[in-house]
Amino acid sequence: MSDFLRSYLTVGIFGLIGVALVGVFLGLGKILRPNKPTLAKTEAYESGVEPTGDMWSQANIRYYVFALLFVMFDVEAVFIFPWATRLEAYGTFGLIEMAIFIFILLLGLLYAWRKGVLKWA
Amino acid sequence: MLALLAQEVDFVRPAIDWHAVAPELTLLAFGALVTVMDIVWLERGRRLTSSVASIALLVTMIPIVTLALDGEDRVMFGGAFVVDNYALVMKAMFLVAGYVVVLLSTNYVAEGDYWESEYYGLLLSSILGMVLMASARDLITVFVALELLSIPAYMLATWRKRDLKSNEAGLKYYLMGVFASAIMLYGMSLLYGGAGSTLLADINEAVSVDGSPSAIVVVGVIFVIIGFAFKVSAFPFHTWAPDTYEGAPTPVTAFLSVASKAAGFVALLNLLFVGFFGRDDVYEPLIWILAAASMTVGNLVALRQTNLVRMLAYSGVAQAGYMLAPLAVASDVGDAALTATVTYLLVYAAMNLGAFAIVLAVARKTRSAEIDSFKGLFGYAPGLTIAMSVFLFSLAGIPPLGGWWAKFRVMEAVIEAESASGVVLGVFVAVNSVIALYYYARIGLGMWAEDAPNGDTTPIRVPASLVSALAITAALTIAFGVYPPLVSEFDVTLLAGGLGG
Amino acid sequence: MSSLLAASSADVPFPILSALVVTPFLGALLMLVLPNGRPEYFKQVAFLVSGAVAGMTAWVMVEFDKHTADEFQFVDSAEWIAGLGISWTLGLDGISLWLVVLTAALFPLTILAIEAEHTPKAYYAWLLLLEAGVMGVFLALDLFAFFVFFEIVLVPMYFLIGQWGHGARAYAATKFFVYTMFGSAFMLVGILATAFLTAAETGNAVSFDLVYLAEEQALATTTARWIFLSFAVAFAVKVPLFPVHTWLPDAHTNAPTAGSVILAGVMLKLGTYGLLRFGIYLFPEASVYFAPALVALGTIGIIYGAIAATMQKDLKRLVAYSSVAHLGFIVIGTFALNTEGLSGGLLQMVNHGISTGALFLLVGWIYDRRHTRLIAELGGLQKPAPVFAAVFMVVMLSSVGLPGLNGFVGEFLALLGAFAAHRWWAIVAATGVVIAALYLLWAYQRVFHGPAEGDNAEMKDLTWSEGAIMVPFLAAIFVMGLYPAPVLERMEPAVDALIEHIEGNVEDFDEADADQGEDLDVDDLKDLGKKKDSKATDESALVEGGAG
Repeated sequence: MSDFLRSYLTVGIFGLIGVALVGVFLGLGKILRPNKPTLAKTEAYESGVEPTGDMWSQANIRYYVFALLFVMFDVEAVFIFPWATRLEAYGTFGLIEMAIFIFILLLGLLYAWRKGVLKWA
Repeated sequence: MLALLAQEVDFVRPAIDWHAVAPELTLLAFGALVTVMDIVWLERGRRLTSSVASIALLVTMIPIVTLALDGEDRVMFGGAFVVDNYALVMKAMFLVAGYVVVLLSTNYVAEGDYWESEYYGLLLSSILGMVLMASARDLITVFVALELLSIPAYMLATWRKRDLKSNEAGLKYYLMGVFASAIMLYGMSLLYGGAGSTLLADINEAVSVDGSPSAIVVVGVIFVIIGFAFKVSAFPFHTWAPDTYEGAPTPVTAFLSVASKAAGFVALLNLLFVGFFGRDDVYEPLIWILAAASMTVGNLVALRQTNLVRMLAYSGVAQAGYMLAPLAVASDVGDAALTATVTYLLVYAAMNLGAFAIVLAVARKTRSAEIDSFKGLFGYAPGLTIAMSVFLFSLAGIPPLGGWWAKFRVMEAVIEAESASGVVLGVFVAVNSVIALYYYARIGLGMWAEDAPNGDTTPIRVPASLVSALAITAALTIAFGVYPPLVSEFDVTLLAGGLGG
Repeated sequence: MSSLLAASSADVPFPILSALVVTPFLGALLMLVLPNGRPEYFKQVAFLVSGAVAGMTAWVMVEFDKHTADEFQFVDSAEWIAGLGISWTLGLDGISLWLVVLTAALFPLTILAIEAEHTPKAYYAWLLLLEAGVMGVFLALDLFAFFVFFEIVLVPMYFLIGQWGHGARAYAATKFFVYTMFGSAFMLVGILATAFLTAAETGNAVSFDLVYLAEEQALATTTARWIFLSFAVAFAVKVPLFPVHTWLPDAHTNAPTAGSVILAGVMLKLGTYGLLRFGIYLFPEASVYFAPALVALGTIGIIYGAIAATMQKDLKRLVAYSSVAHLGFIVIGTFALNTEGLSGGLLQMVNHGISTGALFLLVGWIYDRRHTRLIAELGGLQKPAPVFAAVFMVVMLSSVGLPGLNGFVGEFLALLGAFAAHRWWAIVAATGVVIAALYLLWAYQRVFHGPAEGDNAEMKDLTWSEGAIMVPFLAAIFVMGLYPAPVLERMEPAVDALIEHIEGNVEDFDEADADQGEDLDVDDLKDLGKKKDSKATDESALVEGGAG
């Protein structure tokens, strides 16, 4: 067996132990705990409010758009923080590059704004 | 870890050859312009966007031409971005194909229910991805280009958003595309793990070491090829194609079946010829099977289709098989295989776009893409019938049309290999050409010889943009076949430039 | 490239052969731009274009130098795809000359003889495109160009049958298209293999030049045999040889008259011509090796075609099956691989074009008048249409091979050659002649003799214009039957050169000559035509030949 595969063997064993551990503890709990089901216990927990209606309720599509916008700016941050730590090394070049990057993002935000995505109505 | 972060490495600004990236930047600027127009004018801007898009594509041709005249191979970012003759030929093809798609779309989008500026913005960004793909010689660049060209295409496929079929088209395309991307990305990560570099040239050096193929390389190469097999809709990874083609708006289908497929092939060519070339023992058998299976299954299933677009989808699977065939003997014939596939891509783009242009034109009257609705076309639209016959017989590989020359190059490459596997593949191509002939010719005969359904022979009014699209594609289809040096000349320059690395 | 090519191209100021191919092609394009409002122009323009081709061919025929008939004349060569050694090379020698003449003559006559039933524009455009393709096949001296023309021919014929045919026309057209395409797909593999393997063996650049490849003979024996087979499959379908002949009766039965005439007259010859030019010339060793098999298939075709023809109820289908038999004679003559056989086969190609072409025309006219081709529904036509009957009789007898008419000379020579080379097969094949007489005469008797009843009594006789069209056919039938020398003496040098080519390239090949190595004398043949008793001559000649 090659070294490469041997290293995967380690991963495999590690994974097996992980699965076994979970199984052992859950199984132990199942054996040891008392089992007295009541109606309230079997209900799904939903923000403390009693659930009504079907489980497959549709979320408002607007949440989706907000989520998308959030991801967009989140990713932007991932780029900008490391850039900031190295700004001195990058110099003017780095500044211009980031300006272009932010401009394109801004265009996206403007677009979303103009198309009425930011309004909740 | 912290020490690593704190370590100051002098930043060296990468040298940028502005001429080399001019096509990409031009497209990017125009794409942004379309968005800005939308922001400023909202719906009032949409009258202009199709013109802006076609101007964008034509303007982008200028740097391509100047680069071609310059003739120098340009390498940037340590070899991740290369502009050579091969890249230029492919970029030009994407731009011309994109231009034809804009022509096909102009009336279709404007007359449909979803006339929005975004259509052209998405189209331009997808083409930008393709243009970038032609230069990509690095796993990351390849992947970024692939996503850039795919994601807008997913959205375009589902453009008619209240149409169930269009939704199905987009969703299937999206799910299969993402699935393929995931497989491919896994393969790429394995290759990176094995080679320690994302540059294709480095990967080639690392994987071509003699000795037994290590499992990591084999799995990596296979996964990456399978990922692109989805993209080019090769059997058995073609299942999304018929439904997507049928449901998507027809100009988008034309775009997917030509430009998107070509982009997949360009990526595959880059990977095979630069990245995995030394590992022919791994990729050749795989490609051989993909090619033989694609052409056989694609053609056999196409025989039973009653919808022209679905038939073109399955015939596209078969055509992908022909295009893959030379790659199965790439190590024996080298440049000849590359030339054959590139030639096929160019010719296929012309004839397939032409066929879709006809589908669009006829559907303006019949509102249908059923094969039966083409019957008796000669009676009321002789010009369209002649053009469609040219495209169909070109697809079937009848001389002296372009498709014939493309098929000839493929046959030439597999036979030039002088190996048993090559000749057997040649026989596969030969037999499949005959099967394919049957369904292409059947449509041809229906158009010429049968009577129009319901006796409806009111003429078709074809808008100017469609006429231009037809003229471009028909002229290219015929010219490539009658005077093959038109594409052969590209071959010569292609060989001279070769694939940079 | 070769001394053969350089030989006689200097004295041609005008690329006449290219003009023969390009003129009908341009005519087809012209047809498309003609205004729809004046349909009567279509036929006239088509006739003028094909007439112009015929005129140019006549000039070529006169200018053709019979002393150098073994060389390609009027050669016209231009670079096409330089990178792969593909050129546009056209040339004409004693073998192709008469086929070109036949093509050039048959097209204008067909166009004149038959009115398009509908959509005349497309009809004449396809016919002209077909003429361009057929001309190209007979003239091409480059394998690539040859293949291109060989394929081009299929498309117009496909549409002619599919659009203007009768009955199961779509089925027949598709069957024709798919069968022939199947054959040529293999040929493409063969062509590429020939070019690339030759390049690999010799170290020269790739070339698709026929003369170069044939003279080089660089391929290993086994390889050449395999490649020959790939060519042979394509040509066998086209000829058609048993057992891949089944498309022919369907195609003929359902084709419009013009389609049948062209199909029988020239298109079937593409196969036999291909066997001769691209089979024997390119692969002499493989041809010798496979000759017995091909002769066997040819003989089976003769007998099978004859028997099948006897049983047909449809007059046109009968003629179609008789074609299968006649083409069998051509094949056994060709693969006798001696002067008599090859000349006979070649002559028979031309003869069959004339006789069967005329026969299909006549059957077409009967159909136009009576709207049926079923032999049972016809009868006694001789009474209302005596001239028609007489013309039919002559054409039919020429097809039977009556001495004094053209069919006899070719068939006789082919059998003579075959007898020397493959005696028993030839004897079997000779019975085909008898059966041919049987089914054709019997059909004639049923159609023309007896009492004329109902519509048959009203049958219109040959009109003057139809008669005028038949005149060239009848003239050819008589001239070639009584005095074939001008035709033969232009063929012979080319045929002899081909045999020398085989002798030069195949070790211990011994030409099975009918008269002990002495080349056939043209003067003997003049007498041949005058002998009267068909069967007696056949047999005595066979015995004479056998004695050697």
